[in-house]
Amino acid sequence: MTRWQRSVPVYGVPVFTRGFWGLAALIAIGLVLTAYREVVGLGVTVSGMSDPFAWGLWKTFNVMVLTGLGSGGFAVGIAAWIFNNKKLHSVMRVALLTSALAYWTGLIMLGVDVGRPWNFYWVIMPWQWNVNSPLLEIAVCMSLYASVPLLLENLPPLFEYVIYEFPKWRGLAETCEKLMKKVYPFIIGLAYVLPMMHQSSLGALMVLGGSRVNTLWQTPCLPLIYVWAAAFLGYNCVTLCLLLAKLAWKRDLDPVVMAELNKITVYLIYAWTAFRFADILLRGKILHIFTDGYFSILFWVETVLILGSAYVLSTEKGKKLSTMFNAHLLCAVGGMIYRFSPTTLAFSAKANSFYFPAMAEIIVCLAFVGVAGLGYLVAVKKLAILPGTNADWMKMAQYEEKVKPGIQLTGYAPVEH
Amino acid sequence: MALTRREALKNLAKGTLPVLAAGCVSAALPQFAHAEEERLEANPKYRKTDPANALGLLYDATRCVGCKSCMVACSQYNELKPDTRQDGIHQAPPALNYYTKNIIKLWRSEDGSDHSYFKQQCMHCIDPGCMNACMFGGLRKDEETGVVWWYGAKCVGCRYCEIACPFHVPAFQWDGFNPKIVKCELCRTPMQKDPTKKQPGCTKVCPTNAVIYGKRPDLLKEAKKRIAENPGKYYQSKVYGEHDAGGTQVLYLSRVPFDKIGLPDVGEDSIPSGLKYSHIAYKWLALPIALYVGMVAFAGKNFSEHSHHLVEDQKETGLRAQL
Repeated sequence: MTRWQRSVPVYGVPVFTRGFWGLAALIAIGLVLTAYREVVGLGVTVSGMSDPFAWGLWKTFNVMVLTGLGSGGFAVGIAAWIFNNKKLHSVMRVALLTSALAYWTGLIMLGVDVGRPWNFYWVIMPWQWNVNSPLLEIAVCMSLYASVPLLLENLPPLFEYVIYEFPKWRGLAETCEKLMKKVYPFIIGLAYVLPMMHQSSLGALMVLGGSRVNTLWQTPCLPLIYVWAAAFLGYNCVTLCLLLAKLAWKRDLDPVVMAELNKITVYLIYAWTAFRFADILLRGKILHIFTDGYFSILFWVETVLILGSAYVLSTEKGKKLSTMFNAHLLCAVGGMIYRFSPTTLAFSAKANSFYFPAMAEIIVCLAFVGVAGLGYLVAVKKLAILPGTNADWMKMAQYEEKVKPGIQLTGYAPVEH
Repeated sequence: MALTRREALKNLAKGTLPVLAAGCVSAALPQFAHAEEERLEANPKYRKTDPANALGLLYDATRCVGCKSCMVACSQYNELKPDTRQDGIHQAPPALNYYTKNIIKLWRSEDGSDHSYFKQQCMHCIDPGCMNACMFGGLRKDEETGVVWWYGAKCVGCRYCEIACPFHVPAFQWDGFNPKIVKCELCRTPMQKDPTKKQPGCTKVCPTNAVIYGKRPDLLKEAKKRIAENPGKYYQSKVYGEHDAGGTQVLYLSRVPFDKIGLPDVGEDSIPSGLKYSHIAYKWLALPIALYVGMVAFAGKNFSEHSHHLVEDQKETGLRAQL
């Protein structure tokens, strides 16, 4: 039985694959369209947005949905470091990398989406803040999270890369690593409080949408339900990354850790669903889950995808890898629909108004998803991200030492403490 | 009709249960009752204007003849290009947009037997959703008049004001690299520029006085006078905006239901009051700070344990420890 002991880079495969160039081409087209958008504005040639549907894919999908999916660093991290779930330390690097890529691309997307980004500098002047605005809370907390704790948490694999690949800089990298260890608890504390704040505020955004958000979604508890959804989406994303690594690079899976990830996902979802139903019941809207036509159907699509997947994961069948993969995928889709609904699918803007993204909008949206995908593919091949065993590391070291003469990946003197 | 015991008990329960629930909530969270006021007092820039001085409009849909001269005057006063995109000749915008701060529309019943003109512009809410949504105060209330106006130097162009406004008023300029938010500011700028202008363009030119300008209490008095003088004429004998959305400075009278003329039933709570629970969670940042302190404590303990384990592991395997 495989037991994950340490992170090991994906080795022996080229970085510049066909997939790499495909993504690079998509990104290039996306960047050209982004430049075009900066010149001509957000009008009909670029986006499908209009005054009634003032927010399109770039905010509602790239930010509000994908940072939910990228909440692994926060959701898995809390379990590992706060609730001391030792099994989960081995997957933390995957979680942190997915979070960083989702947040960084999301923030760039925000910059592309807003009309007057040059006025954003007010964010560094707290006396200029409107502290009542949920969006201000997001602007402050999300940029702070992405630029400080999330960045710092992702540095250790880079330090190791420098230590192994550039022996000249080894001293500096080790000093940085030591400094990091001194302040690490303070960093991770921030890395959990900030996402709790801004992921819930993403829900609070739509509270101001009032009755335009269908009553099945609109609730004073929307912030709580929203951040909760981000938590299980984070687990979905991390588990899917691990399963894909098995599929793509034949990385062995640690059944104990996988079972733990599944267990936490299932419990999070059961509690989330119960809370959501309780909220609807207590607001006296329970009949709407049957009587609201399209909205009721949408509600059940979400619920069946999420709850059904959780049920499958909790059974014996869920231990089969293909079933596990499908269940997590469908669950992630359901969770993403939930995060997407209040802004778009369950948002009735105005009579006769309609939103469907323009082609350029979709391409730019996908291009920035592509940036994250490309970053992930390069990172797992260059850095020790994906979990493996000590034996895997030895095999990798043998291979690398043959390919790159002079490099030494084993037998280091222990770092002093 | 005689009141049965069953009904009496039911009514008693209906009356007392919410009170009990509210009592429990406010006992558990003493700040709850005052959260709303404190939120508004916290930052003088966002304080409510004294409604006694607040300026506004009174629009009586029964008097409007749909001549649209107010739309022309609005464009002239605000130096806006008339929106002739519909046919290239007429100023006929389909809705409020970045060329149009004021619009006259026509509602017609499905069988064509009934109709009413109606005017749309900013409602100048007493506690506006748009201003609460805006990150840096790109939308703000004039401290004296309560007019909600757009301040470009603070606007990031996020369009959250459009999400937060239940009346679909703020309009974003979808063309060009330097977009603006366009909305009725009660001709604030034209009147500042030219002191001979004593009232907004729309009220100045209205031939039937369907829309009049003044202080909110005076307008409210006038509206109520019209309702009293014409019993049964006005829908629900109600002034829309007296309490709706927490009260607005623009008031409406109508013969047909308000939702037919673009005035949704938004309840009597202001739009920002929907966030009162969230504001409790952020009060003095107490909860986030407490969470942070607790998390650092747990993380510190677990981290030193984990580091110890890493060092042991490193000695055993000869492979460099990974954080």
